[in-house]
Amino acid sequence: MTARGLIEAWAALVALSMGTAALTMLDVSGSTRTVIAAGVLALAGLKSRVILARYLRLNQSRFWTRLFDVVLAIFLGIAFAAYLLGIQE
Amino acid sequence: MSDSDERPWRQDNLGVFGELPGDLMMWVLIASELLVFGAALIAFLAVRATDPAGFSADQAMLDRTAGALNTAVLVTSGLCAGLAVVHREREERSMARRWLFAAGFLGIVFLVVKSFEYAQKAELGIGVETSAFFTFYYLTTGFHALHVVAGIVILGVVAWADSVRNMEAAVAFWHMVDLIWVLLFPIIYLLR
Repeated sequence: MTARGLIEAWAALVALSMGTAALTMLDVSGSTRTVIAAGVLALAGLKSRVILARYLRLNQSRFWTRLFDVVLAIFLGIAFAAYLLGIQE
Repeated sequence: MSDSDERPWRQDNLGVFGELPGDLMMWVLIASELLVFGAALIAFLAVRATDPAGFSADQAMLDRTAGALNTAVLVTSGLCAGLAVVHREREERSMARRWLFAAGFLGIVFLVVKSFEYAQKAELGIGVETSAFFTFYYLTTGFHALHVVAGIVILGVVAWADSVRNMEAAVAFWHMVDLIWVLLFPIIYLLR
């Protein structure tokens, strides 16, 4: 990993964090609440992917990048399903 | 000594595990920690489903700004730690140490912000046993904060014992702490 690559990863993380902040400032009433929650989790997944691939240099291996992508997607899918259970009460 | 000579633990006969960057045991630790925190966060969301109104009311008492600030602090700290490895690999040991200290300093900033959050809750009489939400809040964020403390100590140690291998392993631990936070923060603080 080069210094430039790390700085690009950091910029991506800051941008994604700002995106998360913008999403959470939106009105959460009604059906938009579920969409916002999905967006927040998706952005968390993207941030995790940047840290794994760029900071932790996992992008050196296609196999491990894909495996962590799958595990992360399963985790976020379960988290979203559990979240949906909570708002159906 | 070439870069590859310094890394005898990278063996070709490890198969697909040999493709992992850095120390294999660090990846075992990273996977283990992700599983522990992942299980805790899923448990949090499952328990939330039994009392969404109570969890929502408790969550509204959290300081989201402090949490967002700490996200910025940790990802910037991760950048500093990564730059330390880059400089160490170029044999620029003094610069590598400076970046490690910068990363550790930002780790301390994270803990200061977190301690303000805890102090605010304590002033309101909120503790671990106040509600299920705050039990999860304190256990997950407290356990994460302990990892930050451990990470700061480890960064300090490798600033002294600064082989490329040591520094890579310590910085990988630090990135893991960062990774856990970017998953923990939105689930505990932001999902409404």
